[in-house]
Amino acid sequence: MNSDLWLYIGIGCGLGSIAAALVYYRWVFRQEPGTEKAVQIASWIKDGASTYLRMLYRALIAVAVVLVVVLGVIFSGDPERPLHGVYTAAAFGFGALCSALAGWLGMSIAVKANVRTATACGRSLGQGFNVAFKAGAVMGLAMVGVAVFGMSLLYLIFHDAEIVLGFSFGASSLALLAKAGGGIYTKTADIAADLTGKVELGIPEDDPRNPAVIADNVGDNVGDVAGMGADIFDSYVAATVASMLLGTSFAAAGSIGMQYAILPLILCIVGIVSALIGLQFVKVGPDGKPGKALNFGTVFSCVVFCVLATILFVVVNALAGETVFNYGALIATISGLVISVIIGFTTDYFTNDEYRPVRNVAEISASGTGLTIITGFSYGLISIAPALIGIVIATLTSYFSAQAFGLPGIYGVGIAAVGMLSLTGIVVSNDAYGPIVDNAKGIAEMSGMSHEVVDTADVLDSAGNTAKAITKGFSISAAALTVLAMYAAYSEVIVKYSGGSFLMNLQDPIVLSGIFLGCIVPPLFSALTMLAVTRNAFTMIEEIRRQFKAKPGILAGTELPDYSRCVGIASSGALRALVFPALLAVVLPLMVGFILGPTALGGFLGGAIFTGVVFALLMSNAGGLWDNAKKYIEAGNCGGPGSEAHKAAVVGDTVGDPFKDTAGPSLNTLITVMSLVSSLFAPLIAQYHIFG
Amino acid sequence: MRHLYLSLMPEALIASMLSPEEFGNYYAVGAEHTTQGQAVFFEVDPAFRHADIPIETALARCVPHADGQPKHTVYASVYRVLERVPLSAIGTLYLVTKDGRTLGVQRGAEKADSSEGLHLYHELAPVRPLVVSRLGPEPFFRLLCGGSDTPLSIPAITFVELRLGDLATDPLNGSLGDLPYDNTSHLRSCLEQVKSKEVAAKVVDRLHPGTFSYRTIKNGIFIGNKTEGLAAYMLPSMGTLKETNHLWWKSATI
Repeated sequence: MNSDLWLYIGIGCGLGSIAAALVYYRWVFRQEPGTEKAVQIASWIKDGASTYLRMLYRALIAVAVVLVVVLGVIFSGDPERPLHGVYTAAAFGFGALCSALAGWLGMSIAVKANVRTATACGRSLGQGFNVAFKAGAVMGLAMVGVAVFGMSLLYLIFHDAEIVLGFSFGASSLALLAKAGGGIYTKTADIAADLTGKVELGIPEDDPRNPAVIADNVGDNVGDVAGMGADIFDSYVAATVASMLLGTSFAAAGSIGMQYAILPLILCIVGIVSALIGLQFVKVGPDGKPGKALNFGTVFSCVVFCVLATILFVVVNALAGETVFNYGALIATISGLVISVIIGFTTDYFTNDEYRPVRNVAEISASGTGLTIITGFSYGLISIAPALIGIVIATLTSYFSAQAFGLPGIYGVGIAAVGMLSLTGIVVSNDAYGPIVDNAKGIAEMSGMSHEVVDTADVLDSAGNTAKAITKGFSISAAALTVLAMYAAYSEVIVKYSGGSFLMNLQDPIVLSGIFLGCIVPPLFSALTMLAVTRNAFTMIEEIRRQFKAKPGILAGTELPDYSRCVGIASSGALRALVFPALLAVVLPLMVGFILGPTALGGFLGGAIFTGVVFALLMSNAGGLWDNAKKYIEAGNCGGPGSEAHKAAVVGDTVGDPFKDTAGPSLNTLITVMSLVSSLFAPLIAQYHIFG
Repeated sequence: MRHLYLSLMPEALIASMLSPEEFGNYYAVGAEHTTQGQAVFFEVDPAFRHADIPIETALARCVPHADGQPKHTVYASVYRVLERVPLSAIGTLYLVTKDGRTLGVQRGAEKADSSEGLHLYHELAPVRPLVVSRLGPEPFFRLLCGGSDTPLSIPAITFVELRLGDLATDPLNGSLGDLPYDNTSHLRSCLEQVKSKEVAAKVVDRLHPGTFSYRTIKNGIFIGNKTEGLAAYMLPSMGTLKETNHLWWKSATI
């Protein structure tokens, strides 16, 4: 089968997915928005989110323009490929644009769907769920559609995976800014609103008297819709591009055919079709359990993907009368997919209050904050083990199954990452559902809807929290496997351009130095982003106190707070705080590469990847665990609200907030960006470096 | 319009130009967010007068500020107030949350639940110990205000009965559930002692903080004195309050 035909199918499938997203968008938009007051509150959230996105995109344009020029100039030096720099720069810009487009579409529908979900909750739980989930699906489908469309189009035009790497770098650069910025924003507002509202003044959550309440709701969107969406978009594209690079590299060496360069794209197409089928079956059953519906959708899509991928391999091989696609690649794909689902559910074990870890932390909190922190942190450390063992199993299974069928083992690892991310459409749909129902609950509370509506929205919200925790486990594991593939791609590029072999010896001080330098980056990045949260939260708390003092009518309910000031503090604070961490991700690998050489950069990436994955899993899971321990107590256990256990759990939750929503998930993007920068600049680093 | 309020946190008689809801909000959060905290107070008949309390003086000072703003508080007395205000002058009870939401509770004709099991009382005035007892609210009131031949006897008292849940019948092993009490092992031990020994009541905490969680109220708040007996202000269930006074319920249950 002609490989260009697959690329045309990819373009068509990408556009189809975007069209399906637009159909859902239109459906959600047509739903009843609700009362005037609810619409007014939703418009404040929408305005806040739009303001932040505008500021973020303005910053991104500035960064993108600089990087486009840099890429254009640096990569135009090759006399054999004079336009390579221009193409790479254009692909970078296109990648950033596509990522921004997917994020904007997701945010745009989320801030419309929140109020419609709240209103639909007044009719029934099923209808509320339907509105929120279809709105989430807009994000999921738009994201995979835009990604597959962009990658297929670029490969069709250039037939060069290195150009598509520029696309991935563009997507990742935006993802890093969106994820870290969104994480800083959302936790700034959340912590400030909680500390002054709940703890200091006894104001309930989502109370319109709290000046930070709108910023808190905006934060849900910019952190969990735009931020998390950009993060998974980045992993999705990076995994595909890494495998395409490996396929191209091995094909050029003659060890496999060129069809393996586009196999990752073909699997993405199958993933889109599976997601579209799976989405049709996500409905709340008569038992009224939305969490069950979300999980069913994920597992069902997984099964559909496995069946479709197997049919594809069998049919293509049968039609060709020869082995076009090696079954080793199929086993690798499915192993990646199955492991991703297992890792997602082990994350659920550590963060769901139905299981021992969360209940244990809740019970032990009655003895004080110290034990809450120690126990939660310890469970967070334990939670690293099953996820990493899962990654090891996926790596070994995919490597040796590919090898057993005659494919390069490392190509199998890359394809396993693609398999893991093939469910992105449905996973992102589930993830974006979370902040929409969270907002819906807030709007229902703030607009004075009946408590039955609030209770219905609360049931939907609980399912969203679990979906969010599973998504984080999924995205971290996927990022880990992606960067392993990217790491292999980096090695291949170095070999290609240096003309020699690429071996890293742990006895070599240059390599060891690289590893240690790499180990520094994830903790440093985490600290910088979390310090940004505390600094901005402090400023916002002062502003909230100022408003209460200046306007006594706020607490009496006779005056409205100035919500926009808190929105402004969160937006500008988040973007200002991004500059240094973002520079770290781009500049450090280049410094290590050009100064210490390719092997040191290899060690640097290894150190950053391993500590990054460990930190990401620890912080995401410990944070989620503390959050749910607090919620478990608030549900009337271990003394309930106001008890000593609750006070300790509130502290645990506050500590865990920037862990799980700022630093932890941003580390995925950090290690992906560093791997992409290294791979992109590998041709130059291979030729120009001081040591090594 | 000038009002008289009998505050229990702290015990004081206060003149104010604010309505009960405005007074509750002000008393809990302050004019410029300078004071904070739960408040419990009764509305007192504005015609009430007592020789030992300079009510007229306080009312005379209770006039609008120069800018026309109403006077928030003028303290008439901050010492031994409860024993000087007769039940006949005491009107609606107001429970104010930390963030200033106010709930009015009328005096009820219904009797307090004196069902089997142990009881937990938080005395609000004149002193504030936390006490466990085998006695229901009425016998407990008689124990403290009934006669003059016991050193425990006081002229008047206000107390609230708090929920014990499973601990009322099984102090040692009963589940704590959603009861937010501190030092629960000591509470369990005190309950066990009251259950198994001859004493009718035992102090759990002699210097208990003045505040308590409204969601832990079992029946309501009781006020009584030697001459007029006991009056009960029965609180509707939290389920009912969720329906009828949702905003107050939300603030009271966080």
